[in-house]
Formats: sequence, structure tokens, C-alpha cells
Amino acid sequence: MSVEAVPFGGSQQGGSEPAQTRGFGASSGTAGRRIATLLLRGGSLAVFVAVLIVFSVTAPYFLSVGNIGNVLGQSAIAGVLAIGLTVVMIAGGGNVVTGGIDLSLAANMGLSAAVYAALSQAGFGDAVAVAGALAMGLAIGIVNALAITLAGIVPLLATLAVMNVVAGLELVLTQNTVIPATGDLLTLLSGSGPFDIPVLAYVLIGFTLVAALVVQATPLGLRLYAVGEFPEAARASGLSVKPFIAGAFLFSGFCGGIAGILSVSYLSGSTTGAGDLLLPVVVTALLGTVFSRRLVPTVIGTLLSALFVSFLVNGFQLLNLSSTLVSGVQGLLILFVVSATTLLRKQETSA
Amino acid sequence: MASPQEDGNIGPMIRLTGIEKSFGGTKALSGVSLTVERGSVHGLVGQNGAGKSTLIKLLAGLLRADAGQIEIDGVVHDHLTPHAVDALGIHFIHQDRLLVPTFTVGESLFLGREPRIAGTPFLDRRKMQRRAAEVLDRYFGLRLPTSTLIAELSTAEKQIVQITRALLHAPKVLVFDEPTAALVRREADMLFRLIRRLRDDRITVIYISHYLGEIEDLCDTVTVLRNGRDVATKPVAETSATEIAGLMVNREIGELYPKRTAALGATLLRVEGLSTPGRYEDVSFALRRGEVLGLTGLLGSGVKDLVRTLFGLEQPASGRVEVDGKTVWTKTPAQAARRRLALVPEDRRRHGVALDLSVAENVTLASLDRFTRFGLLNGGAETAEANQLIDRLQIKTDGSDALVRTLSGGNQQKVAIAKWLSRHSEIYLLDEPTVGVDVGAKVEIYQLIADLAARGAGVIVLSSDLPELLGITDRILVLFRGRIAAALDTSETSVDAVLADVTGSSEALRHVG
Repeated sequence: MSVEAVPFGGSQQGGSEPAQTRGFGASSGTAGRRIATLLLRGGSLAVFVAVLIVFSVTAPYFLSVGNIGNVLGQSAIAGVLAIGLTVVMIAGGGNVVTGGIDLSLAANMGLSAAVYAALSQAGFGDAVAVAGALAMGLAIGIVNALAITLAGIVPLLATLAVMNVVAGLELVLTQNTVIPATGDLLTLLSGSGPFDIPVLAYVLIGFTLVAALVVQATPLGLRLYAVGEFPEAARASGLSVKPFIAGAFLFSGFCGGIAGILSVSYLSGSTTGAGDLLLPVVVTALLGTVFSRRLVPTVIGTLLSALFVSFLVNGFQLLNLSSTLVSGVQGLLILFVVSATTLLRKQETSA
Repeated sequence: MASPQEDGNIGPMIRLTGIEKSFGGTKALSGVSLTVERGSVHGLVGQNGAGKSTLIKLLAGLLRADAGQIEIDGVVHDHLTPHAVDALGIHFIHQDRLLVPTFTVGESLFLGREPRIAGTPFLDRRKMQRRAAEVLDRYFGLRLPTSTLIAELSTAEKQIVQITRALLHAPKVLVFDEPTAALVRREADMLFRLIRRLRDDRITVIYISHYLGEIEDLCDTVTVLRNGRDVATKPVAETSATEIAGLMVNREIGELYPKRTAALGATLLRVEGLSTPGRYEDVSFALRRGEVLGLTGLLGSGVKDLVRTLFGLEQPASGRVEVDGKTVWTKTPAQAARRRLALVPEDRRRHGVALDLSVAENVTLASLDRFTRFGLLNGGAETAEANQLIDRLQIKTDGSDALVRTLSGGNQQKVAIAKWLSRHSEIYLLDEPTVGVDVGAKVEIYQLIADLAARGAGVIVLSSDLPELLGITDRILVLFRGRIAAALDTSETSVDAVLADVTGSSEALRHVG
């Protein structure tokens, strides 16, 4: 299929030099990869749609505007975190072990939420609390960025360490208790907007759109991809790699701060157990790659996969299925997506 | 294409004077001068290690010279950075294709200088794709679907995208580093037509190649580097491939090489019609006991792949390998080692020895079975074996328990060979065995190779150092673009003759534009 699309590869067929066979072989390998990509991408969209159909048939309430709005609202926190992780994955490259990953995101959200709640309880207004939470998130991002770009620690280890520190700080701050918080902003965020859809759902959509515009439609985004995919190529194009990587971790830290604020509004305070969100967030960001033609992380792909994961949870709840099944399904999804993309990428590099 | 404005500057485009550069103790460049005239195609040739890549890295601002002066467009530059070089309009077409595989052709061409939709911060993808299609069509007559990803392109197309990237920046100087290594003839011809057009547009081209035929056809002037010096700069019209080849190699073969009297025994290894499409084709040869067989060829000629295949690191598509008269199918290095094959790889610090293990541990690493009793290592036996081999190979070390990291390059190489002696291997594949070792150690390694052969082993030496091959081998096989171009009897050949086969200048394979 790709042979005709590539005039050069096709024209080699008549030649007699040894390299001619290689050119042809590479093209057919490309065709194989394309089919596999199509299957993976089409397959996951098909699964997405199939899950929606099954749930909407078996649980009548599933496809109502109210339920969809709820699912969007429930996805907001994990969605914002997953978008932060997506940007880190773009700038760090596709390799899960040595590439971009931010394990500290969930803990970051927990600490930022605790800071917000603590400030709010101490009598500070919304503005101070928001600034405090965002600054906390950003500070964690700065620590990550320094550890990775200055000290040269692989992101997997650097953010694992930061995750533990952050989780510890949260315990110190909250004494492992729930800190309730109230305020105008929280009331607004936890309420409903037009069409009786939760405000959080609008927040998620808005945040996704802004992030998608920056990442998918600006030179900055394009360079971010170049830095992650092929740092030498980025350098050869006159880009310095480290500022991009540092910037990505700053952004993901900031996302942790935002998610912290959202979680305070959603739970009416700061609660323990933020770390439980790590697995769903990583699943979401990894799964997002199968929604892109190039099998790379994209913001919209991440939104789709966040919705997919939430619909899955929601459907299980509506059908009264055990929620313990959900983490099992999430784990399987990680295995599937990572092995599928790894295999495809291996083909790509050997071709 | 921007035709370079006539700024009245008529001096040379690039003038390097007295450039010196050392890495650690080794001198890579000792006083190189190079003058590249405006609008000319200037060839740069030299053997591996002659200093070509160091010189190019200096010009690219990636390295800084220890001494000497770099003058570009009439201005002397003391602190060249890659960025400054870019701004001066000098662009490099690297051997490795530095393109992001998941980018479209358009994105790859404009990365770093992306067009924006007027008045917004957003990428103008349509303009990128339109411009990409335009430029590719204009220079190469190539119509690629604009949404094609780099990963889906052939090697030649990737090369073209990379050249086009440079052209978009309206370059004054283009430096091509071995551009045809991965191209078939048709594609190379296209590249040559393009380079001639660039010359007509008054763009200065520096062209680095091993293929002397290309230099003859394409270049106006050629500079030959040897051992970190520029030994000659000549107008191509007044020289020949043979003369250039002669200048490239140092023909003083002294008493470096041991005298040996080859007593050839039974056939140890026979290779019949071995092929892997695109790497090597229909390779057949035999190796006898007591024989030292040289193997040489350019990067991409398939010699490396051939050696890797023999050791089970790659699988051939077709063909047969016999060891001791029995057909074998070596799928893994472990199987190869059991068949008494030994590989001493080129990058010894990464693949040949374990730097942080002791000499004794390294020496016995491939033959631990012999030193194991009831699943436990017998340290005494290991040390005894190591001491015996240290003695036999005259490895200079503080003792068998010294870390290999503390040894000199030549002695590390001896440890890498001792490892296989301990395993009683009989077929030795030595990949560039003397790369990066000093002359004294070279002599010792040559002596060691001669000893191996004298004791009845068969040795295959892969080397790009032709005088070395002529000095130590009985026969030399030359691969050119995947095929055996010549099988030469060492006593009846010369460096010039081998070099002619290596570079393809003895054949009609030379590119004709």
C-alpha cells in the first residue's frame, strides 16, 4: 500500500543493486506498521464505542445528558493531571523507563489540595488559597525539573523520590486527617453550569482546549515533540533540549496545583489517599497515545482516554459490578497499550 | 534558492590555518590548513582516523581547536558555536539522518523556523506543507504526499528531506559528510545533479567521501588528509584517483610486522553464498588453519555485518557456513562460542572487556565452566589460568586481580583476546584490533595474531588500516557495496591496488553523473 504512495521506493523495483531490495523491504515494513497502527487505533476507538453501546443498552441512564455531564465532571481531576503527564511524556520521549514520566503528580495534587484547605481554614480568602495551591504545585515541578535537567536523574527515579517527599509533607501538614474547606470559589466549582452539567466538566473541557491549542498548534508544541522524540534532531535544528524538558515538568507541577484546587471543591476539603489516583492518571496518559495517528501522546487523545476510563468506572457502578474489577482492567490496559506501542516502535527503529 | 548576493568579497569562503586539536594524549589534527574557494565543490578525503570528522566538527562549532585560525567569509572567528555557524549560512548534511520519525515532511523541514499564521502564535501547517511540496518538487522533482511521516520514507528520501532542510535556510556553504553511503546509484546521481546546480547557484560545497570516483566526477578541488595533516590540495583536473589513493595512505611499512611463515592446514571455516539483502550478497570464502585472512571495505560495504553474522549476532537470509566440514547454523553468540568462534569487537571498552572486573575475571569470563566445581567458582584455578595467559601474552598489569579499567588500550585488547584463548577458541574474528592503541602495543598485537595462526588457529582480521592488513595477512578479501570485489593474495598486491578495490575506483561502478 505504501509503495505506490512513495514514488522513490516504487521506482527502485527495476534496479539491480543490492540496496534496492532494502528500500523495498523498508516500504513493506512500513505498510505492515501502518496496518498495525490502524488496527490499534481503530481497535481502541471501536472498543471505546462498544463500551459506550454496551453500557447504554444495559444501563438506560448511562447515555443521559446528566450522566455524561457527571462523568465529565468526575474525570476533571484525573484529566487535568493526565494532561500534565501527557506534556511530560511528549517532552521526555516515548520510552517509559528512560523517557518522560511524572510519578509525583498525584501526590502533588494531594499536597496542593492540603495547602489550599489549610490556608482556607486559617481564614485566608480564595485568592490567597488559589495562589498557595498553584505555587505549591509549581514548586514541586521546579524540584522535578532541577533534579532531572541539572542533576541528570532519570525522570522515573527523580519523580518517584519527589513523590515520597511530597506525600510525607502532606501528612505533616494534615496530620493524616480531613481538612474541610469552604468558600465562594469552591461553591462555584462544585455546582452546576448550563444544561445542569457540573462546572468541573466545563473546566476540564476548557483546560483541554487551551492545552491542546498550545501543544498541537504552536511552534512551541512542535518543538516539544522534537525534543522528546529525537533530541539530536532537535539540537541539529538549533533548539536547546533542557529548557523544554524543564518547562514540561513545571507545567505538570502547575497541573498538580490546579487539580488540587479542583479536588478540594469536589471533596469539600482535602482528604488523604491522593496517591490512589496515580495509576488511573498513568493509564489515561498512556492510553491516550492510541488515539493519535502517529502513536504519540496528544492532549485530545488523553481527554478521550480520560473519558474512556471514567465511562468504564461509571458503567461498572451503574451495573452494580464490583469496582475492584476496575483496577484490574486498568492494569491490563497499561500492559496492552505499552506492549503494543513498544512493538510498533521497535519495528519503526529496525526498519 | 537565494543566490548569494555579490558583496564584493572575493577572498576564499573558508580558510583554516594551522589547526591543531588533541584528545587526551592523541593528536587528531596537527597543523591542518584548508582553503575553500567561493562557489567551488571542494572534496575532502582521507582514511578513517585521518582527521576528517574532527576537522568538520571544528568547523561546525562542536569542538574548539587548540591552535590555529578559522576564517569564514573574510572574518576570523575565535569562538564558533553551532548557532553562530548556522547564522553564517554554513549547513551540514550529516551521515546520520537527524529527523524525527513521527513528524511529517513539512514539520521536519521547518522545525526550528516554523511559519505562523499571521498575527497569531499558531503554526501555519498549510503553508508548511505547501512550501515543502514546492521545494521538494523544484529541487528533486519529488512529489511526496505532504502528510507522509518520516518513518514511512526510504533512506534516500530521508536524505533528500535533510538536504532540503538546509536549502530552505538559503545556505552559503553546504557540507556533505559521506552523503552516498546509504544511496543506490540512481539516487546518488540525483544528488550529484543537485550539487552541480548548487555550484551554478554559487553555493560553496564541501564534499567528504570515501568514493574517489565521486570526487573525480564532482569536485573542483580535493584536499587529502593523512594522520592529522593536509598532505595535498590539488585541482581535480590535474590529478587522478590513483594519485589521491596514494596520498591517502602512508606507505612506509617498516618493521612493524612480524615475519611469519604460514603453514596452512585443513579448512576450518567455509562460507558459501552468504546473503542478507541490502547488506552483503553472495559472499563465499574459506579460512584454513594457520591462516590470517584480511577483511576490508568501507562503511556500509557489509564487512561488519558479515562478521556479526559469523558470530551469530545477525542471521543471514540465505547461504551456508561450515565449521570443520560440518554445516552449522549459528543463531546466537553462545552457539558461536561453542563452535570455537571468538569475536574481539571494535569497541573493546563497551563490548570487548568488562572494565570494572579484574584481569582474571575477564580472562575466564567466556570459559567459566572450566573453573567451576559443584557450581562454585574455583578462584585458585582462575588465577592460575590468568597468570599463565598474562605471561604468554605479556599483558602489562599489576597482577591478575587488577581492574581492567587500569590497563592501557593495547593491554585491554590483549585481555579481550586472552578471554577466547582460555576458551580454546580456534576461529578468531578480530574487528579493528589495533584501533586506538599505540604503536608499541600494535606490534605486540600483530605478534599475537601471528602466534595464534602458528598454533593452528584461523584468524580473520577486519581492518580499514590497509598497510596493517598487508603486513599481517596471507590473503585479503575486499567488499564493495555488499559484494566481494576482490580476493587478493597479500604477497602479490599493494596498498594502491587494495585501495582501488575498496573505493570502487578500479571498477566501472564509479558514479557517472
